[in-house]
Amino acid sequence: MKIIAYRKLWLLIGAGIVTAAALIVLTLGLKPSIDFTGGSLTEVRYSTLPDKAVVEAAALATNLGTVSVRQSSSDVGQGYLVSTRDLNEGERAELSAALTALGEGGEISRFTSIGPVIGQELKDKAVWAIGAVLLLTICYVAFAFRGIGWPVSSWVYGGITILVLFHDILVPMAAMSLMGYFLGAEADILFVTVLLTILGYSVNDTIVIFDRVREKLHEHRTEHKKMVKVVGGLDQEVVTHTLLKPFDQIVGQAVNETMSRSINTSLTVVLALVALYFFGSTVTQNFIAVLLVGVLAGAYSSIFIANPLLVMYEEWTRGKREVK
Amino acid sequence: MTNSQNSSPRTAAFIRLFKAVAILGILGYLGFFVYSNATAENATHPFKLGLDLAGGAHLVYEADTTGVAAVEVPELMNVLRDVIERRVNLFGVSEPLVYVESSSFVSDVQQERLVVELPGVTDVAQAVAEIGRTPLLEFKLIDAEAMSAAAAIEQLTANASGGIGIDNVKLNGEETPEPYVDTGLTGRYLESARLEFTSGQAGQLANEPIVAITFNQEGGELFAEITRDNVGRQLAIFLDGEIISAPNINEAIVGGTAIISGGFDAAEARELAENLNFGALPVPIKLISTQTIDATLGAGVISQSFEAGVVGFGLISLFMLLWYRVAGIVASIALMFYVALSLTVFMLVPITLTAAGLAGLVLSLGMAVDANVLIFERMKEEYRSGKTSREAALEGFRRAWTAIWDSNITGLISAGILFWFGTSLIKGFALVLGIGILISMLSAIGFTRTLLIALPEVKREDKGVWSYLFGTGLLKK
Repeated sequence: MKIIAYRKLWLLIGAGIVTAAALIVLTLGLKPSIDFTGGSLTEVRYSTLPDKAVVEAAALATNLGTVSVRQSSSDVGQGYLVSTRDLNEGERAELSAALTALGEGGEISRFTSIGPVIGQELKDKAVWAIGAVLLLTICYVAFAFRGIGWPVSSWVYGGITILVLFHDILVPMAAMSLMGYFLGAEADILFVTVLLTILGYSVNDTIVIFDRVREKLHEHRTEHKKMVKVVGGLDQEVVTHTLLKPFDQIVGQAVNETMSRSINTSLTVVLALVALYFFGSTVTQNFIAVLLVGVLAGAYSSIFIANPLLVMYEEWTRGKREVK
Repeated sequence: MTNSQNSSPRTAAFIRLFKAVAILGILGYLGFFVYSNATAENATHPFKLGLDLAGGAHLVYEADTTGVAAVEVPELMNVLRDVIERRVNLFGVSEPLVYVESSSFVSDVQQERLVVELPGVTDVAQAVAEIGRTPLLEFKLIDAEAMSAAAAIEQLTANASGGIGIDNVKLNGEETPEPYVDTGLTGRYLESARLEFTSGQAGQLANEPIVAITFNQEGGELFAEITRDNVGRQLAIFLDGEIISAPNINEAIVGGTAIISGGFDAAEARELAENLNFGALPVPIKLISTQTIDATLGAGVISQSFEAGVVGFGLISLFMLLWYRVAGIVASIALMFYVALSLTVFMLVPITLTAAGLAGLVLSLGMAVDANVLIFERMKEEYRSGKTSREAALEGFRRAWTAIWDSNITGLISAGILFWFGTSLIKGFALVLGIGILISMLSAIGFTRTLLIALPEVKREDKGVWSYLFGTGLLKK
């Protein structure tokens, strides 16, 4: 495949995806769950389901402020999810009594109440966690590829990894926004877990290709050392390099040679996710769907964004190097 | 390796075969261990299920540590945890978990919290009520001057007619001083309490129920010091924030005992003594978050995750078999080893399994096999370049290792941060992911490699079934 030859086209498509994803996230927005906003969620199950309006009226009658009621059907029966502000023990008991009295077999199967301080803290922590992963990844990649040096510094490999990671989390965020808009899915603590998991995983493919670029560079690079007299100083050893093959060809070859492993490593994860989506618990279904989008985005970006960016950077700086 | 180089090819082949059989034996043993522990009634190492799977209640209390010196906070929180733990043990829940949690350093508001996890308890009202019965006992000195000032202000405010609202009367232009001065003596120094009745001497009423409390060593010394330094003043005893008595200090009290008399009837005094015996709160606490989950939800999650795991394993194995042929079979066996070893670690550590953690385990099947994919792809290249299958395998391991290592480190970074970020339910997921990465590396070098080099050695141009089996791709040779 001509990944590097058509690099401008691929980058244009990549930019289009990122722009579209950013627009979706900005316009539709993520719907934060009570994990972040604080509030309470009560799940009530019935053997014979009362009308939603009845449940709404009963919940409102408890004077807990704004109440929202959604139907929930889990594997163990049907019922409703009632969200309110965070409740203290007395209010919880009152709401539970009001809800369970509405229909036959009324039973509270789940209750969560989260204070606003805890919600805010989780939000802060989420931002810090994502920031920390990005920072540590750029440092690690720069460190791991420290020997690569010329013609592109190892920090550039780290930087490109991060740019690619932005793409990789922006796309699942857009997916989450769409799911929130159309299906009412809420971004909860599991969603942040997905983002952190994607950050850790999708960088793998990029590293595998960079690893091959490194190997090829060592094969096709010669090193010349010479001593240079520095005015008023000691002799200094200066190392210059020559590539026996243009950089874009080296990268292109690395991408093509690692293509089948990039696809296969992601494919095995996709197979696991597909099994989880169709056979796994409904509790984690949204989590799996977003993860699936993230893994696909990660596989795409490592081939179609990371390496074209690397080649473009080298071309862009080549002029400067030659002037030296 | 040195052995095999010096000995005859037959011995070397025997050693390779022996190693392969040995690790298959280990796999068999691990599988048996996991299976027997998971199915036995009274297993020595059962899986530990998180609240979302076992059902139960998760309560978070905020401890009010205002006025406590920062260095003393950790010690105080430990006392608090012990007190609540004793209380929670009354429920007879199998494995209650009480732990202290500080709000994260990235958070604006600093809070000290106490988390109570009660597996199997879904009647949260009863649990909250039981924990709420832990008394808060404080001793405070009365500042007579401030007290009279406060009384005067109250008088003034009460007398002020509606027209002239006096909201904030100040004494000498300063804030009204607090009439009750903290002494630092609280329920944390309590050793025991018992119900007694007054004897009727020295002008007391006869047979009035009182609660006699005994301080521990440290508390007794503190009590003696307070009473010695403040003879003539009043020491107020606060129970759950309410003043119940304010006796005069007549002399220094050594010996570490005190009497609480507050016009109780016998039943109230007995209950107080009982509650105090389980420990008193060193600082006030407030319930800020509650979560209860019904156990029936969890049972479904476990069986579905198991099903997803089996299907996922099947799909991945099928793909590996079709694409990598004999190596794919090796990878599938290595994947079994990965699962068995992971589950063994989960049982032995033990690691709390949650819904997200189980999903993480199934997901990690797809990630664990990645190392094998990288190795086999490299092996394929070497095999095509004319090396024998065994040389290609060894070279594949050597060359693929840097990529495997680098990409797994970034995975470990994420898992580490995730562990820091998450609540107890997410920590389970982070651990599953992190341990999965380590075990997958181990299974790649230890397991896949040993099996692969035990297979017959062939070259690509050889005829016969083994030569085909070492190839890759769906159909082509």
